[in-house]
Amino acid sequence: MLTEREIISTLEMLENEHLDVRTVTLGISLIDCASHNPETLKNNIYRRITQTAKKLVQTCDEIGEKFGIPVVNKRIAISPVAIIAAAFSPSELVRIAHTMNRAAADVGVDFIGGFTALVEKGIARGDRSLIESIPHALAETDRVCASVNVASTRAGINMDAVYLMGKMIKEAASLSADRDGIACAKLCVFANIPQDVPFMAGAYLGIGEPDAVINVGVSGPGVVKKAIDRALEADSGLDLGQISEIIKTTAYKVTKVGELIGREVAESLNIQFGVVDLSLAPTPNVGDSVGEIFQSLGLKSIGVPGTTAALALINDAVKKGGAFASSKVGGLSGAFIPVSEDLNISESAAAGYLSLEKLEAITSVCSVGLDMVAIPGDTSAETIAAIIADEMAIGVINRKTTATRLIPVPGKKAGDSAYFGGLLGQSVILPVNNGLGDNRFIRMGGLIPAPIHSLNN
Amino acid sequence: MKKVIISVLGHDRPGILAATTQVLFEQECNLENVSQTILQSEFAGVFIASMPESLTVEELNNQLEKVLGSLNLYVFVKPIRVDVPTYDAPGSEPFVITTKGPDRKGLVAGVSSVIARYGANVTNLSAVFKGGDDPNQNIMIYEVDIPWRIDQNSFQKDLREKAAELGLNISIQHRKIFETINRI
Repeated sequence: MLTEREIISTLEMLENEHLDVRTVTLGISLIDCASHNPETLKNNIYRRITQTAKKLVQTCDEIGEKFGIPVVNKRIAISPVAIIAAAFSPSELVRIAHTMNRAAADVGVDFIGGFTALVEKGIARGDRSLIESIPHALAETDRVCASVNVASTRAGINMDAVYLMGKMIKEAASLSADRDGIACAKLCVFANIPQDVPFMAGAYLGIGEPDAVINVGVSGPGVVKKAIDRALEADSGLDLGQISEIIKTTAYKVTKVGELIGREVAESLNIQFGVVDLSLAPTPNVGDSVGEIFQSLGLKSIGVPGTTAALALINDAVKKGGAFASSKVGGLSGAFIPVSEDLNISESAAAGYLSLEKLEAITSVCSVGLDMVAIPGDTSAETIAAIIADEMAIGVINRKTTATRLIPVPGKKAGDSAYFGGLLGQSVILPVNNGLGDNRFIRMGGLIPAPIHSLNN
Repeated sequence: MKKVIISVLGHDRPGILAATTQVLFEQECNLENVSQTILQSEFAGVFIASMPESLTVEELNNQLEKVLGSLNLYVFVKPIRVDVPTYDAPGSEPFVITTKGPDRKGLVAGVSSVIARYGANVTNLSAVFKGGDDPNQNIMIYEVDIPWRIDQNSFQKDLREKAAELGLNISIQHRKIFETINRI
C-alpha cells in the first residue's frame, strides 16, 4: 500500500514542477547500410530508420500516458555518417542529410543526430567530405544535427580540424543568414564526445553500440529548483551541505523516473535499454531554467562571482543522486548552460552579468560547454577556432566532455538580439575579445599532444 | 477450522485493541489478520481469527460484547464461509487514481461507479474531505486493479468525463511510478 504522502508529493512534482522525461532517443546503427552506390545507401538509410523508429513516437506517448509522465522529445541518433558514407563527396553527403531529414519527418521526430565525424587524431577522406558538407547539410535541412569530435584526452587536440570547423561554422552561418545563422545551432564541436548522448545536437550512436538502443534524458532543471525553493521555505537556515543533499534526493527521483520510462519504451519496442543521461537540460520557459537555480541558491544571477562554485555543487549533487538511482548512467550527465535555450541565462547575458569568459570558466565544472552562444557575425573563422580550441583544452586536460555550439549571427553585432525560435530560443549577442584579430596560433595547425596523466595540477 | 471476521467500531481511546485481543486470546482464538484505522475521532478495526470447534460464534459475540460494550464500542462477528469461492481477480495492472476538487455529495459514489462498471477492483481507498472549495483539502486516492481485458481508452475517457462532471481534477497513473520515485 502506498502512503498518502508518497502519492501527493509525486503528483506535486508532476503538476507544479514539470517532472517529465526530456528525451527518449533511439540509437540506430547504420553501419551495415553502407554501399558504394549512393542511391542504395540512401535507400538503406531511409528504410532502416523508418522501420526501426516506426513506433517510437506512438510508444513514447502511450507509456507517458500510462505513467502520467510526459516524454517531451523523441529523437533519433544514428551511426557517424562520415563512416557509413566515407566513399562520397560533400555534395553527395548533403543529399544523405536530406534523406535523414525526410526519414525523421516521416516518423515524427524533430531532430536526428549523427551527421558526425570523429577526427581527434586525423581527418580521413570521408571525414573531410562530411565536414565540408556540414554548412549546406544544416542550412538546407531543419531536423539534422551534426557533431564533430576534434579532441580527446587520449589523442590531444587536432588543431587542423579545429581551424576547419571555425571556417565551416562561418559558412553555415552565412548560408542561413536569413534565420540568424540557425544552421550553427545544430552543430556541436566536441572534445571527448560520449557514444551514447541522448541530447541534441550532440547525439550520435557510437561504433561500440548495439544495432538499436534506447537512451533517455531525464527531467529538466525545474524540479531541482522547486525542491531547493521548498526546502528553503521550510527552513531558511539550510547550509550548502544540506542543499546538496536535497539536490541529490531530487536527482535520485528524477533518474528513477527516466530509467523506468526508458526501460518500458525499450521493452515495448523490443530494443535494448542503454543509459540514463542525468543532464539538467533547460528550455526557454519560465520555471524550466538552470539559471534560476543560481538565484534560488542566493546568487544575483548566473555569471556573478560564486557561479562556478554553485554550479560545481549542483552538478556534483546531481551526479551523486543519479548514480545511486541507476547503474546505467551515461551520456553527458551534467548541467547544461545553453545561453539562448535557457530564458534566465539569456536574460543574465542581456543584463551584462554573463560574459563569454565566465561561461568558459564555468564549463570546467559542468557539461557541456559554450552552448548556444550567439556571437557577432563578423567574428573571424580564426577567432571562432580559437574559442573552440580553448574549450577543447578544458575538456582534454580535465578528462571530461566539452563542446561548443557557437553561432556567429550574420550582420549582427554585440548587444543585438538573435532569434532562433522554439526550443532553440533567443539570446543577446555576446562580445568576443579580439573578434576580428589575426590569430597565427590557430593557423599553425598540427596536433596539440595528449596530456600527461600524472602531475595532476 | 472455523473462521470469523470481527469488526469493532467506536469512539477512539487507549486500550481498544488490548481489550479485543484479550477476549480472543482467552477464547483460544488465533488471530490471522488485523487492520485498524482511525477516521477523525472514530476507531475502526477488522480482525480475522480462527476459532476452536467447541466455541460458537454467538458465544464469542457475547464475550466480546460484554467487554467492549462496557467501553461503548460496537462489535459485530460474522462467520467466514470457506465453501464460497473467493473473488478471482482477472489479469490486471495496478493503477492509482487521484482526484482533487471542491467538496460535494456523491464524489466517491460517482467515481467508484465508473470503476465498478468496468470491473476494476478498488484495493485501497483513502479519501479526505475537509469541505470547502480548496481542491487540496478534498482528495481521493484509489488504488485500483484495472483488468487487461477491458478497453483502457474508454475506461480512462469515462473516468475523465465523470471527473469533469463532478468538478474534479483527476490523474490516472500506473502504480509503479509512485514506487519508483519514493522507494529505494
